[in-house]
Amino acid sequence: MTPRPLCLAAAAALAFASRAPAQDSVFGIRGLGFPDRSVSAASAGTGGGFALFDGAAVLNPAALSTWHGTAGWAVAAGSNRSFDNGSGSTSLSATRFPVLGVAGQIGPRIVVGVTVADYLDRNWAVSQADTVSPRGTPVAAQDQTTSVGGVSDIRLAMAYRLQAVVLGVGLHALTGSAQTTVIRTFPSDSAFLPFAQHQVTSYRGVGLSLGALATPARSLLFAATVRFNGSLRASSPDSALTVGMPVEASGGVTFQPVQGLLLSGTVGYASWSSASSALASSGEGPARNVWSVGAGVDVTQLHLIGRPLALRLGYRWRQLPFAVDSGPSWLTEHAVAGGIGFEAAGGRATVDVTVEAGSRAARSLSESFVTAYVGLTIRP
Amino acid sequence: MSAWRSAAFAALAFGALAGCKEQISSPGKCPALCPSGHVQLADTLLTTADVSDTSVRGFVLVREASYLLASNLDSLQSLVLVRFSRIDTTWFVTLSSGLVDTAYVGNPDSVVLDLHLVQRDTAVKGLKLLVYRLPALFDTGASYASILPYFADSTLVDTVPISDTLQTGDLPVRIADSLVIAPADTGVVSLGIAVVAAGKTALALGSGNLGTTAPILSTYIHAKAPLDTLSHVTSVEPSVSLFVMNPPPGQPPTGVLALGGIPTARATLRLSLPTVVVDSNAVVRATLLLNTTGPAGGFARDSFFVFAQPVVRDFGAKSILWPDSTVSGSVLIHEGQTGPVALDLAPILRFWGTTQGDSTPRLIVLRAYPEGSILGSVTFAGRVAGALGPQLRVTYVKPYTFGLP
Repeated sequence: MTPRPLCLAAAAALAFASRAPAQDSVFGIRGLGFPDRSVSAASAGTGGGFALFDGAAVLNPAALSTWHGTAGWAVAAGSNRSFDNGSGSTSLSATRFPVLGVAGQIGPRIVVGVTVADYLDRNWAVSQADTVSPRGTPVAAQDQTTSVGGVSDIRLAMAYRLQAVVLGVGLHALTGSAQTTVIRTFPSDSAFLPFAQHQVTSYRGVGLSLGALATPARSLLFAATVRFNGSLRASSPDSALTVGMPVEASGGVTFQPVQGLLLSGTVGYASWSSASSALASSGEGPARNVWSVGAGVDVTQLHLIGRPLALRLGYRWRQLPFAVDSGPSWLTEHAVAGGIGFEAAGGRATVDVTVEAGSRAARSLSESFVTAYVGLTIRP
Repeated sequence: MSAWRSAAFAALAFGALAGCKEQISSPGKCPALCPSGHVQLADTLLTTADVSDTSVRGFVLVREASYLLASNLDSLQSLVLVRFSRIDTTWFVTLSSGLVDTAYVGNPDSVVLDLHLVQRDTAVKGLKLLVYRLPALFDTGASYASILPYFADSTLVDTVPISDTLQTGDLPVRIADSLVIAPADTGVVSLGIAVVAAGKTALALGSGNLGTTAPILSTYIHAKAPLDTLSHVTSVEPSVSLFVMNPPPGQPPTGVLALGGIPTARATLRLSLPTVVVDSNAVVRATLLLNTTGPAGGFARDSFFVFAQPVVRDFGAKSILWPDSTVSGSVLIHEGQTGPVALDLAPILRFWGTTQGDSTPRLIVLRAYPEGSILGSVTFAGRVAGALGPQLRVTYVKPYTFGLP
């Protein structure tokens, strides 16, 4: 999750200085934005395979039960990307904060938590060069359109422990805004002045998530979750648009064949086609229902300099919901990840570091990325 | 604070700092990865934007100008009139004994007139300045005709030749051994200066206004006995310096937008503009199109600016102008220039779209620049001239549609 007010102010200042705003993925220009993966650094290291079992992730409210006592966590993710539009490539980078959260146990069975996570990222910037002749004489013009902001997911969730089952429920508030700015500049030696205009679009929505964890055997753990989203209302000073949001369902399994070795896999589905009609009415391309898959391994009985060390590997694949053109062309993303986790401060803190490399592509458009996740969990 | 708290705080602080320092370039490929909106320009000629205009002369007066004009052109004759401050008849001296005594002006040795040549036409050779003695208390409201009789052979003090190679600079000239000052004149000396040359010409001398060098009259003297071995120099600057012209400048004729000259003239235009032009920052270029009614005046081969400024409060000829020089437009005018002139007004139209300029009248003032320091003048056709009157060409961005979501 991005600390938006602070970063927006800084980004605005930097953007003025260099006219080069931050962006996560240029594909965020399409549809509602670029869907974020609100996972912890540890889950990212397993390709998201453990995300449904991870109390620091936002997917499954029942996973809050993995916290015993009070805990707080934060994840920072810095990425470097190379975008290729078929005729050239550009290097990009950004740092985001996918998840912040705090959880606490209330009695022996109940754990409650609050998380703030990125849901849809609308940080992007594109430039277009043009030649115009408003007075009959050609003059070069450069248009830059920039969007800063996005939609955040604020969740208040509770997990309730039964014998071999944990149930969870989460209330979600989707909120945020994006400021879009268009700037046209002319050569400094021309008689034309630059032009700039901006619009702030606000986003509001709600959702409800239900989740469960089940332990049918000592070495086997199942998870399932479903999330119902209400409509997302996007409003600007001049207009408003209500967009249908998806029902999201995920299931996963963790298997421990031997002590210290965990294997996990997760499958997710989201009915993003519900957004198609609203997007079409605003001239956007269609949205589709999407699948996502993640699988990973977590080795937990290693030691480094006398301290326990977790080693993780994973792979993930997902479809992205918004068409990049009217074709329509669809984006597919896949990545491999690896990471470590170790304890600090006498076991009161955990540091997870993950490096993920992958790519996303649609026809001639492609973007490769390397993302470094750093997660910090504190258990006071 | 315990170790783990310190570590956590440091890690979070580092993360926050790193997160706010990101910097990225901006790629894109249209139409797939471009916004749906397009920046569209529109260009329009507002032929009736000037709904009223007027021109008034007298903003910088002759006595406030930075120059003193001497001219014998057929189109303009001008004589310089200078009244110097009172020349003291005593001064104080410190004797060898340490005592301070009063010295009285005795025998004069010479009188030197220091002038500063500001501008001349170097194509005209054989320049001479004729220095005349005027009545000490000449009428400061005198006209060219009323003062001309004093420029006679009988009052000629000296003739000052000007080197053909001198374009600008100081002219210290010994004009007389002494100047007799009648008691009634109480030490005041007034001089008149005219120019003659091999051809018709004009020149400008520094007046002392607006940072220029003033004429200085210096008298070299010896004291009266018993201090007659002491010498002294008394220098005085003008208390009045001006010039009179023939024909005398008058108010601009109706329907003509006159700028510059001396006393300086300004023109005021009231504009009526469409909302889309004023109520936003969408204007990327705005050009006021003007047509001269005759050749621009001024020194030969000289140039000056026509400067446009918005009015903050409309008090007619005494309107208050917006002082920010960035909210203005200017165009360079050359002596003798005729035909159409294009003046950029985009910063002013942008200003009217801001909260500061929103409540200000849609008035602009045109004036010559640097006002009061140049002889240049130009006249443009006013709105009564119809198609030749002021027109405004505006290029603006049509309202941009960002769209949702």
